[in-house]
Amino acid sequence: MNVTYLLKRLIGAVPLLLGVSLILFGVLHLAPGGPLDVYADNPSVSPEALAQMRTAFGLDQPLPVQYVSWVTAFFQGEWGFSIRTARPVVQEIAERVGPTLLLGGTSFVVSLLIAIPLGVLSAVRKYSAVDYVITFLSFLGVSMPVFWLALMLQLVFAVQWRLLPSAGMQTIGSDSVLDIARHLILPAGILAFASVAGWSRYMRSSMVEVLAQDYVRTAKAKGVSGRRVVYRHALRNGLIPIITVVALDFATILSGAVITETIFAWPGMGRLFIESMNGRDYPVLMALMMVGSFALIVSNFVADLAYAAADPRIRYE
Amino acid sequence: MALAQQRGGTLTVGLGYDIDTLNVYSTGFLGDVQAAVVEGLLAPNQNAQYVPVLATQVPTTRNGGIKISPDGKRMTVTYKLRPGVKWSDGQPFTSADVKFTWEAVKNPKFIAESKDGTEDIESIATPDPLTVVVNYKRVAPDFASTLFTFGILPRHTLQGKDLNTDPYNEKPLGTGPFRVKEFRRGQYVVLERNPYYWRKDARGVQLPYLDGMIFKIIPDSNTLVTQLRSGEVQMAYGVPYSQVGQLGSVPGLKVIKNNVLSWQHLDFNMKVDAFKDPNVRKAFAYAINKAAISKALGGYPTPINTVVVPVFGYTNRNVPRYDYNPARARQLLDAAGWKPGPDGIRVKNGQRLSFKIMAQAGRATDEDAEQVIIASLKGVGIELQPDNKSGVAFRDARYKGNYDLFYGGWITSADPTYSVFFGTKGVNNGQGYSSAKVDALLARAESTLDPQARTTALRQFQVELMNDLPSIPITSNPSMIVVTNKLGGFVPNPTNMTNFVNTSGWYLNK
Repeated sequence: MNVTYLLKRLIGAVPLLLGVSLILFGVLHLAPGGPLDVYADNPSVSPEALAQMRTAFGLDQPLPVQYVSWVTAFFQGEWGFSIRTARPVVQEIAERVGPTLLLGGTSFVVSLLIAIPLGVLSAVRKYSAVDYVITFLSFLGVSMPVFWLALMLQLVFAVQWRLLPSAGMQTIGSDSVLDIARHLILPAGILAFASVAGWSRYMRSSMVEVLAQDYVRTAKAKGVSGRRVVYRHALRNGLIPIITVVALDFATILSGAVITETIFAWPGMGRLFIESMNGRDYPVLMALMMVGSFALIVSNFVADLAYAAADPRIRYE
Repeated sequence: MALAQQRGGTLTVGLGYDIDTLNVYSTGFLGDVQAAVVEGLLAPNQNAQYVPVLATQVPTTRNGGIKISPDGKRMTVTYKLRPGVKWSDGQPFTSADVKFTWEAVKNPKFIAESKDGTEDIESIATPDPLTVVVNYKRVAPDFASTLFTFGILPRHTLQGKDLNTDPYNEKPLGTGPFRVKEFRRGQYVVLERNPYYWRKDARGVQLPYLDGMIFKIIPDSNTLVTQLRSGEVQMAYGVPYSQVGQLGSVPGLKVIKNNVLSWQHLDFNMKVDAFKDPNVRKAFAYAINKAAISKALGGYPTPINTVVVPVFGYTNRNVPRYDYNPARARQLLDAAGWKPGPDGIRVKNGQRLSFKIMAQAGRATDEDAEQVIIASLKGVGIELQPDNKSGVAFRDARYKGNYDLFYGGWITSADPTYSVFFGTKGVNNGQGYSSAKVDALLARAESTLDPQARTTALRQFQVELMNDLPSIPITSNPSMIVVTNKLGGFVPNPTNMTNFVNTSGWYLNK
């Protein structure tokens, strides 16, 4: 790993992002309707007002012109204004990044802390009762719709037991960490449940494979303790395939969990995306999708670094 | 009521949408929060009639507030303003604010959702701080449903500012009972009592009774219902019919039915060949069981026979009616040459009587009604396939008429302009309906202040429309409001001016 490699990767991302932006822009504008259609719901909007808005937002320009001016502005850090709220896109996104990172980050860390040991346990105790229970729970987690689980937990924890708030990020007027943490439990828990279910399965199969390798047997034959074999020798190699899966999910943290954020009225990027989508708020949508693409590129990069850290044989030049 | 209203307390309201801006002139929504903060000169009451707010009376020709020019082509509306009104920052409210509102909204640089009414005004004179004389270019009977009713903008803080980006959009300054304390995007708006509010109750107690209001943004309707049940929210409107029943039995909550000015309808795309035959359209009307639709929606909707909802004085009860009669529908189709085919669906010249029907995807109430319509029509040999769309795709199809049949609803102001829906050039006439007679009748109704002439024209319009039947009126759907039973003084508002248009008299019993 050296600086040249790092630079190369970063510069290589630029044409990639450009290509992505061209596709996104095209797809967005191919979709029926336009940003001003939201106003059409109101019978009192005059055609003159619409025409005037069209000019003001540059929507009357031909598409290629709109694209070029968007690209140049975007790469200069000028992300334009939201059509829905008339506020700078940067500001819209900046306000939503925090809550999304908090929710996504918490569930990510929690998932990792649970999924890896669970997967290892499952693999070590292959075909035991513990393994079956974990397998059963994983399938439950993968197949259970988020909205249904959310509804059930809200009913139990908020309506029946009145232990936790059913939605929102904080009690109004309160900024205490504890209060936010209480609001975080249900949505983060639900997000984590789904990730844990998936990741622990990957971890299990990867570990099962590694544990059957010759070097593990050799280590065991040499009298190394079982615990040491698993955690010192096998785990490290078992982690490598997981890195790809986890890294891809890592990218989605920044895009926000659309369903969970909507159900729990969490003011994050996922909800901003849905609202912007419904309003065809092109500037915000483009920026959100670009941020998402960028996150994907970065997390791929991070995954490569993690490979190298986990397996010293992998080297990037 | 002899009971003294209690002062104090905060009401938490759940909103099912994410607020875009708090400026009433540029929001894409009806403006619930804004209505508690910003006042207009007039407002519609619970009977959809205009009452004075910042004006001392509703101008009419009878009280001299409206004068028609001798040639009958222009009009002048004079508002007398309420003395002693202050903005919530303590500055006096005057006629200059009213004039400024017109200028600011009209300004081409201001990107507004609604500029309706600004172009009709020629000039505004302010002979004294409490008098506004508005000179109209035409006789505009709908003058009350737009500009100054939406709200007045404060001249002293907004003059020379860019209304598109001004902080006003986050923290509007109004004369209303409350003012914005905190607005957290995507989360909530906190309103606090406006200490300068002008209104007192009958006993001379300074209004509003409430210390404040909180509007929580909860986009998911299931979550909104959960929040009502857990007590985290004390009020929500537009609650799904399917959930009203269980909420009604929750202790501490009560359900209020608000008969909003809305009507559900099934529109024909007049460009579709089969629909050019009026007998086919009438067969559809006879085949649809409106009572069954109402029943499927919990019994809340009321079947209707005309597009003008029964609240209005000019509703015509003597329009051509098409009461549920499948036998009559079959007769009409037989006569029109559509004979049952091998699969039971009618055929004429090798063409099957089969269409696509569009409703708004995800709107459970409409989708349920759509199912009943599909089943009803199948009974007489007409096949309908749902082609539901959401969001912008739905609106796009609706405005361009990219559908065979469209099921949906409209909600109007207290003073609806029907030409936008049924006029040949109406902006909401995506179905391509055109009738010279209807155009003439609506033009007459929408350019006269004479209530008698208006009523006559609108009643005739309804007869014409129901004869032509481009659109089958189905039901009028109420909005269900669920609210804590501690709330007093609340009356629902049926218009598109929201339930929060008069919050100063609301109170919470301890």
